[in-house]
Amino acid sequence: MTVTDSALARRNPTVKFALLFAVSLALLFVFDPFTSAALYVIALVAVIASSGIRPRALLLGHLPFVGVAVGLVLVNALSRPGVEVVRFGVLRVTEEGLEVGAALGLRTLVIGVLSLGFIVSTDGVRLMTSLHRHARLGLRVTYAVLAGYRTLEELPREWQLIRHAHAVRAGVDRRGRPRRGLGAFGRAAFALLVVSLRRAERLAIALESRGLGLSPRTTWRPVALTATDGVFAAGVIAVVGGVIAASAAVGVLRGAEVLAG
Amino acid sequence: MLSIDGVTVAFARRRDPVLRDVCLDLAPGEQVLVLGSSGAGKSTLLQLVSGVIPHSVVATVDGTVTVGGVDTRDTTVVELSRTVGLLAQDPASGVCLPTVEEEVALPLENRAVDPAAISGRIDTALAAAGVGHLRERRTARLSGGEGQRVALAAALVAEPAVLLLDEPTSMLDSAGVAAVRSAIASSVARYAPAVILVEHRLDEFAGRAGLDALPGRSIVLDAAGAVAADGPTREVLSVHGRDLIAAGCWLPLESELDAVFGGRSGAAGPRTGLSSPGVRAGLLEFAGAPEIGAGLLDLDREPDAMPPTGTDPNAVPPVLAVPVLAPVLAAPVLAAAGLAVSRERQPRRTRVPRRPRRGRDATPAPFAPVLADVDLEVRPGEIVALLGANGAGKSTLLLTLAGLLPPAAGAVAGARPGMVFQNPEHQFVAHTVAGEVGFGLAPGPATDALVARLLDNHGLGHLADQHPHRLSGGEKRRVSVAAMLAHGRDVLLADEPTFALDRRATIGVMRALRAAATDGTAVVFSSHDLRTVATLADRAVVIAEGGVVADGPVFDVLRDVSALESASIELPALVEWLLQNAGSDAGVRRALLRLDDQVPADRPAVGQITAVPSTVAS
Repeated sequence: MTVTDSALARRNPTVKFALLFAVSLALLFVFDPFTSAALYVIALVAVIASSGIRPRALLLGHLPFVGVAVGLVLVNALSRPGVEVVRFGVLRVTEEGLEVGAALGLRTLVIGVLSLGFIVSTDGVRLMTSLHRHARLGLRVTYAVLAGYRTLEELPREWQLIRHAHAVRAGVDRRGRPRRGLGAFGRAAFALLVVSLRRAERLAIALESRGLGLSPRTTWRPVALTATDGVFAAGVIAVVGGVIAASAAVGVLRGAEVLAG
Repeated sequence: MLSIDGVTVAFARRRDPVLRDVCLDLAPGEQVLVLGSSGAGKSTLLQLVSGVIPHSVVATVDGTVTVGGVDTRDTTVVELSRTVGLLAQDPASGVCLPTVEEEVALPLENRAVDPAAISGRIDTALAAAGVGHLRERRTARLSGGEGQRVALAAALVAEPAVLLLDEPTSMLDSAGVAAVRSAIASSVARYAPAVILVEHRLDEFAGRAGLDALPGRSIVLDAAGAVAADGPTREVLSVHGRDLIAAGCWLPLESELDAVFGGRSGAAGPRTGLSSPGVRAGLLEFAGAPEIGAGLLDLDREPDAMPPTGTDPNAVPPVLAVPVLAPVLAAPVLAAAGLAVSRERQPRRTRVPRRPRRGRDATPAPFAPVLADVDLEVRPGEIVALLGANGAGKSTLLLTLAGLLPPAAGAVAGARPGMVFQNPEHQFVAHTVAGEVGFGLAPGPATDALVARLLDNHGLGHLADQHPHRLSGGEKRRVSVAAMLAHGRDVLLADEPTFALDRRATIGVMRALRAAATDGTAVVFSSHDLRTVATLADRAVVIAEGGVVADGPVFDVLRDVSALESASIELPALVEWLLQNAGSDAGVRRALLRLDDQVPADRPAVGQITAVPSTVAS
């Protein structure tokens, strides 16, 4: 996946990562659907405007989060005690349940859309470089993660090769296709393990023999941490804080106390 | 620059040391070539210098290794990397970062090079390796050959004072080898590093300049891991040529021919290799009729240097007994018609719900396949070589013929073929060699007998209880071939079956494939090595430019200059000379087979503990 240039892509990856974390944390204390909905709309518009994400990627990326959100709404609506809205046989949907479920579902979507914005606007190497420099992540961890990512990228190809290599000698079913039972799967998984371990060993040697861990070292394309990043962070915090404050002022904000009540 | 003083290296699981009392001194800028059969400890020697032994790979090391004035035992691999650059075997899998430019920048960053200078040096290093255009490519999208050259650029970019090259050309076609050769030559000319080179494909590596393009100094490691010779390359090769051939090493052609025909009248003189009258006469004699060939016993071969022939040591070897280019009249056992192949289709197809489809037909796909309009028929008992440049689609075609990839268009008809993969480890499913060979067969006394016979025929009898992953490269390959032959399929497909093997192992695989063909199996194999092709194949198919550009009797195809050119295949000097001078196609084949007969099937007794005779399949 390559990262295209955009306003969000030019921001410091560590700052983006920290903000994503901070917003997710703040949302943990919001239990009403209105605040979450407002934050979702703002986040959606902001991500579309600043990251240049393609609509198709945005929609597809939403799928897992929508799935979780629907699940949260259903479980809460059907299981939470409170004022009955409608009844299907033994199942009763409550007002409180709908409210909490919608709040939790929308919270998932906010985190989801922000994560999508983060992923499409952040290059792996820049993230690791920045985490090393600005978040003091150890160099060995940094490059181990990158090399591990390389190994992961290779896995589908290796898996395919191994499955092919094993299928040649496998028995065939009535339609003449190789049988692929659980045993075959296990054998292929073992072969993949062996091949991956060898690869990991070679990667480790390659990294060391290229001098990873020497000091002093330089960074070819250092990831900048600029005043703009500060403004960006302050802006995000102000908007999130503002929305929460506004909904508190209007009186729609609910905290974790709704769970008890 | 580098000093290895009386070093012995032993691994925990092996009885005998891998390296024995090795001494080697290297001055700054000095280059040395390491010769030895597989298992002689060549890679171990490089790991020793880079510090990987003993820091990353556990081994007992006696003696001292000093690189750039520091003892490698007290210095980590990372610290040593200031002095040492390493291009490991299978370097493509040592590529660590997501993009090419980051990969090449890493060694510079680690050595604290001024960031402003890095970009320029990346360009220089990539251009020197002939891959300047790949700078912004994702490393996941590199082919094996491209990955190898990127790894070379990463090894050269920081200009290490000692450069260790472990088979830098193993994955490359002729064009790639030329690029690697010039990259190494230009670095050597630019900043004169000390170089230790381990390489099988010496002729291709040296190119037209021949022996002069190889490092000026050579050392020979014998089967026991001791230094058997150390001196100027020409001298080492001429004094030890015969022993090196007997040990199963690849030699530069010139040295091989001088060693084989050296004792003859007319061979002495200023001219060597193919230009020497004695060598030419010898080759023509080898190419002569079998009756004349039988008189070759005057060539002072030792009795055990005879090719294995079953019971009677004087009988014509089974490989020779096969008529060259046997007429093929039988009906095809595998037929491809209008076949187009591509890997792209595979993921899409798995997502689409299954619709009833008859046979292996498929509807035409909307994208450009790797190969299109391939018509190919394979008959029982013939051996077909598949030739083409890196990335031409050889592996994809073989996978499609095997029924493992659906055709993008057209159809494959015939019984289910067997296939041997390029990396035998991908095929291994069992925990013992015997289990591996018997895998997928119904258990019973018949299977046990078949397995025992195959193990014996392929020289694996003494390894029956070993774990397949623990074997040497040549042994692994023989296991994968034997395991596939156990299924008795009509067609055997093999993807680069002699890839990265030493000469003895290569000959072993060739004999196994020929034996299978003699039993009536049709064999289709891909290869970059035209000497192997000329020695083994009956027919050759050249693929290039998205289709088949030549298909015919092997020697006709090898004479087809334009077809070879379109696939950027270079004819080796030996094959070229024989094609012009041997008088007949059968003569070319005979000469090549007799040259291979100079390599005894068994390792020389040195360091051999269990002398289990291995016989070739007959």
